[in-house]
Amino acid sequence: MRIAVAGNPNVGKTSLFNQLTGSRHSVGNYPGMTVEQREGGLASRWGVMPHRFIDLPGTYSISAVSEDEAVAFRCLQGVDGSPPEAVLLVLDASNLARNLYFALQVLELGRPTVVALNMVDAAREAGIDVDAEALEACLGVPVVATVARTGDGVDTLVAAFERARPGSPAANDDDVGDALVAVLANLEDAGVSGAQARWLICSQAADTVELTGATPSQVAALEALDREDCWAAAREIVAGRYRHVETMLETLGVADRLDGAPAMETSERVDAVLTHPFFGLVGFVATMALVFVSIYFWADPLVGLIEDAFGASSELVSEALGPGLFTDLITEGLIAGVGNVLVFVPQIAMLFLFLGLLEDSGYLARAAFLLDKLMSKLGLHGRAFIPLLSGYACAIPAIMGTRTISSWKDRVVTMMMIPYMSCSARLPIYALIIGALFVTKPEEAWISPSTDRGLLLLSMYLLSTVSALVMGYIYKRTILASPTPPLVLELPPYRLPRVANTLRVVWDKTLAFIKGAGTVILAFTIVLWAVLSFPREETGAGGDGPTRIEASYGGRVAKSFEPLVEPIGQDWRVGIGILGSFAAREVLVSTLGLAYGMEADDDDPVQLREAMRNDVDEVGKPVHTKLSGLALMVFFVYACQCMSTVAVVKRETRGWRWPAFMFVSMTLIAYIAALIVFQGGRLLGFG
Amino acid sequence: MLRLMPTAATLEVGQSGVVSTVEGTDTTTLRLLEMGLVEGTAITLIRRAPTGDPLQFRVRGFHLSLRTSEAHRVRLEGPTS
Repeated sequence: MRIAVAGNPNVGKTSLFNQLTGSRHSVGNYPGMTVEQREGGLASRWGVMPHRFIDLPGTYSISAVSEDEAVAFRCLQGVDGSPPEAVLLVLDASNLARNLYFALQVLELGRPTVVALNMVDAAREAGIDVDAEALEACLGVPVVATVARTGDGVDTLVAAFERARPGSPAANDDDVGDALVAVLANLEDAGVSGAQARWLICSQAADTVELTGATPSQVAALEALDREDCWAAAREIVAGRYRHVETMLETLGVADRLDGAPAMETSERVDAVLTHPFFGLVGFVATMALVFVSIYFWADPLVGLIEDAFGASSELVSEALGPGLFTDLITEGLIAGVGNVLVFVPQIAMLFLFLGLLEDSGYLARAAFLLDKLMSKLGLHGRAFIPLLSGYACAIPAIMGTRTISSWKDRVVTMMMIPYMSCSARLPIYALIIGALFVTKPEEAWISPSTDRGLLLLSMYLLSTVSALVMGYIYKRTILASPTPPLVLELPPYRLPRVANTLRVVWDKTLAFIKGAGTVILAFTIVLWAVLSFPREETGAGGDGPTRIEASYGGRVAKSFEPLVEPIGQDWRVGIGILGSFAAREVLVSTLGLAYGMEADDDDPVQLREAMRNDVDEVGKPVHTKLSGLALMVFFVYACQCMSTVAVVKRETRGWRWPAFMFVSMTLIAYIAALIVFQGGRLLGFG
Repeated sequence: MLRLMPTAATLEVGQSGVVSTVEGTDTTTLRLLEMGLVEGTAITLIRRAPTGDPLQFRVRGFHLSLRTSEAHRVRLEGPTS
């Protein structure tokens, strides 16, 4: 049986899905949508029945407000394929008042259903004792009490699938108001009846009919309704369902206890600190600092290990195959390319591990609560802050992290903003330029050499942050204009995160990155290698002859395009550097080193700094000045010199349109900004 | 003195009210209704975020966070304590 697993967010649906499927699950896409779908077969420990589970995104209502919520409805209705044979509805026993609303909606769809009354342990602790049998009598479908966290009740649940049947939650028909009766009659005449009519009315009221996959005749019938009547009817539908919920809660004997939100008692005390005006923000900054420092601390050595491992394999292969074109293709193309992909795995894994734990614990909802004011000024939801912030470490996991943003347009806006945040790869560039060209003599210092350099570095970071926010503001008002999404955010109870669940997510995301972005990164690596190493003529390194990189196609192009980089104060060597840095920003340093004739594995930037400082042109004027250095830094603040970013955006947006736009727009902005800095500086007499 | 229409946004911290209606005819209105803010529902203001926005409420046994603009749509019958 194909069983769709539906439920509100924060009810432990993921835990239950993982319990049911064990490690047997795959991640794909819902047909025609950018929302991810997790599917899996029944884990062998529960039996050998050929059940397949589809994990639907958590949703508060069948009437979707965003694409990922629409998925739940479309899947259950079988809009994009055959509908599931059964529905597993997961409810949070400690939060029944709202969960039952969604339950009623799902039951209205009329599919064979089984209810998992989850988190009964937490409910019991809060003094809420829900009798599964009584609930079964109310809803008309099998109800099984479960604790997904521990696996309690899952065997009973699996046995219950055989008894799945459509529920009988008929709304109290005597309670139906006039407006609703009239509208239902209208739709009945047009051929839309029963449960279908009810949620189509709500969708029509909320202007989300296009998400529902309604047929043209249904759409026409809905359009024919008077708007005010439609709204009056929708309000009655919602109110009616909640009256029904209240009746059920009375029958179950939990109505009074639930009112005081007992499940949130401990969380309220914790929130008094974590959302406190002062301590809350301090707590947030501390948490984020902890996450980023840990990532740096743990990921960095792993990245080093991977780089070493790939360097070693390169050498092994060179020795085995001997010098030559084929060897270079394998070592500098293939092995380097695979290395370039895997080098991101530690950062992706670490970031998603930490964020997954924070999400599972319930803290990220508080973070969204704290930051919503800032984000909504840009027109974004508070949830957009964390992916943006992650961009300071590395854009790749940050862009992957925009999945939490429900609105497609807002997700793209955030993805377009992230590369502007100064990622850690820009640091070697800033360090090189500042170290080479600024405060080279102590007497030049304004405050002190290190303070000056630090301030300069800080101003680059400030510039990038402000630019990211400005670009977001612009995009939200122009090409990706959409209204600020509503907040209406549930703050779930704090819970101990399930590490097993998070690790599964980390695995899924890492695999998705390697498969989705890996080929693109590998391809770019090989192309760049070819451009910067062909034609393969024998030249001398350093000395009088041109260096190998200078004589390459890339080098020749850079030389002939020198007039293009001159207005921003750069020369052809930097031109080659910019070309090479498309692989990754920090590659500018090594490529520039090669252009100055240094040995490829010479990691010492001091030599390169000297070379840049002392470089003079034919008439003896320095090639690199403070102004040209500043222009170059500003160029790198804005330029999208990262093939991996392009690859990830391509994967997340499922196409080349957005990555191409991002790359072209950022390069143009980078050039113009550098132009303004350099030419403007010259006009002002800074030479 | 101008009498402010009581809404969820005009509640004092710790104060409760009873929902009379939710203003508006858009997606947000429907979402507010479906989260349980129908007529007759009790709603309590727990706190405001550090900068005054958004607000955190207790509704039907769970905690719901709304922006001030969203909370203003939630008209109350008259605050009780």
